[in-house]
Amino acid sequence: MAIPLSRQKVLREWRLYLFVVPSLLMVLTFAYFPAVSAVYHSFFDWSGGEAKQFIGLDNFKRAFTDSTLLTAFVTVGALMIFNLIKMIPSILLAVLIHRLTSNRWQYAYRALLVVPMIVPQLVTLFIWKFILDPNLGALNAVIEGTGLKHVLVAINDFFGWGVFFEGVPIGWLSQPELILPSLFIWGFPWIGTVGVLIYLAGLQSIGQEVYEAAELDGIGPFKKFLYIELPLILTQIRLSLVLLIIGTLGGYGLQLLLLNEYGGPGGRGMVPGLWMYNRAFVAGEFGYACSIGMILFVVILSLTFINNRYVRVDK
Amino acid sequence: MSAIAATPLHRKRDWPKHTFIWFFLLIELFPLYMMFQVSFKDNASFIAQPWLPLSPEDWKWSNWAFAIKLIGPYLANTVFVAVTGTFCSLSLAILAAYFFARHKLPFSGLIWSAFLVLMLLPSVANIVPLFMLLKSMSLLNTLLALIVVGVAAGQVFNIFVLRNFIEDLPKDLFEAAEMDGASHFQQVINVVIPMASPIIGTLAILSFLSSWNDFLLPLIILRDKELFTLGVGLIYLDGEYVKPWGQIMASYFLASIPLIIIFLFTMRLFVRGLSAGAIKG
Repeated sequence: MAIPLSRQKVLREWRLYLFVVPSLLMVLTFAYFPAVSAVYHSFFDWSGGEAKQFIGLDNFKRAFTDSTLLTAFVTVGALMIFNLIKMIPSILLAVLIHRLTSNRWQYAYRALLVVPMIVPQLVTLFIWKFILDPNLGALNAVIEGTGLKHVLVAINDFFGWGVFFEGVPIGWLSQPELILPSLFIWGFPWIGTVGVLIYLAGLQSIGQEVYEAAELDGIGPFKKFLYIELPLILTQIRLSLVLLIIGTLGGYGLQLLLLNEYGGPGGRGMVPGLWMYNRAFVAGEFGYACSIGMILFVVILSLTFINNRYVRVDK
Repeated sequence: MSAIAATPLHRKRDWPKHTFIWFFLLIELFPLYMMFQVSFKDNASFIAQPWLPLSPEDWKWSNWAFAIKLIGPYLANTVFVAVTGTFCSLSLAILAAYFFARHKLPFSGLIWSAFLVLMLLPSVANIVPLFMLLKSMSLLNTLLALIVVGVAAGQVFNIFVLRNFIEDLPKDLFEAAEMDGASHFQQVINVVIPMASPIIGTLAILSFLSSWNDFLLPLIILRDKELFTLGVGLIYLDGEYVKPWGQIMASYFLASIPLIIIFLFTMRLFVRGLSAGAIKG
């Protein structure tokens, strides 16, 4: 605990302020200043140079009628639902590892889980681009090899989608209709190493004897999860949810690399963050980009707030 | 008696779990395997047999030679940025955390909330003004820009974790040091750093990783080929029209090697440190 100091002591200890000054200066310059500047410039017609013109709320008016931006918000909503589903395997894996009776295996699996982290994220992305490649990729090979292709073509003909054809490799990242499914499949089986380790930490307080007691009472595996395990990792799940909301809404690196700065064919992968990037660094409309950033900020903040308010953790 | 009987029973019942876990793990590790074995193939042998590795006498080491020549300079730049950034970030954060944790001086509450508010600001809204700020400081196209932005971005989280940790250290340690006439700086060097070394280690790895994985900022800031970090370098490699997969995979693998080395030495610390930190937070 910090101790309150008397006035004389403060005068004697003024040097201590020097400890916090470097940090504070860095944060003020490279985090606060840009944030304030973003708010300021969102009211300007500004293409990055000295010349700028105050246009009031025009940028925001434009944003609310910008069909690309509105579609981008719908897309990012879909991605959010995808990412919620993608949280499940990590939780499942953590529970499975925790339920193992052998401590040695538990440690071995934890260590193995960390191994994929040595691959830089960027490389993981490029490897997935390669897996989704129509001619050489593993995904198409698996689909052809297992005969799943015939099923897909049959479904396609039945509904008249015009997406899958016999003898034509599936262009996961080049057919507009397949962009969203590709963004869903990406990263299968969706294990987040840090997530699993954090869930495991939450589960640590459950001893083997709890499971044995549950077994004596004849409680099945699913109920065990619901009543024993889930309550203990709710805090961690909430943390993951907050990170997921911020990451999904604000993220655009994935779309930029897997697709391009226009969101891929037909712009199906366009998300608000990418549109901001595009307006700023492709079109040079920095003022408008700032106002898109502001809108995103407000959306993220309110969703985080709702999450904290309603996704409660009862201890 | 019952304990002896229970063990084989449990083991027998665990096998579906093991199968399931291995299923997940194998898919997760599959890209690593592909990366490694394709890195020794030329395009012809890759297209003829994508899945199985070649026998070692046919391995094309020239892919690796190419990768070292191509990626080497990028690797050096990235290591420079990541190491300098991590060092500066943690040095500043330790000092600031000591300031918050040890004494309550006037305004320290205010400064603390100034740091906390930053956690709410998503960096996505900042990137455009940040670019303009760096431009006006003529830091565009420099590695220094990557370092300072990284340091600033990591401060809040690092200070937050370290402050909690320092507050929990036994007060007697600091009092004893003060009795011996240690200044605040000496207390940081001789008390805080040795006591907090596991948590500092974990934070250092996380900070190193985030700097290693960053590609958006380098992509926006860097223009000169000599300054490219891995992020930008690999993106440009991906843009080639005819892709020499073997060379590309060798480059990818090479880009992972520094992380492999770090993880070999710190795996235990990392697996445990992360769990411990999560329990507290």
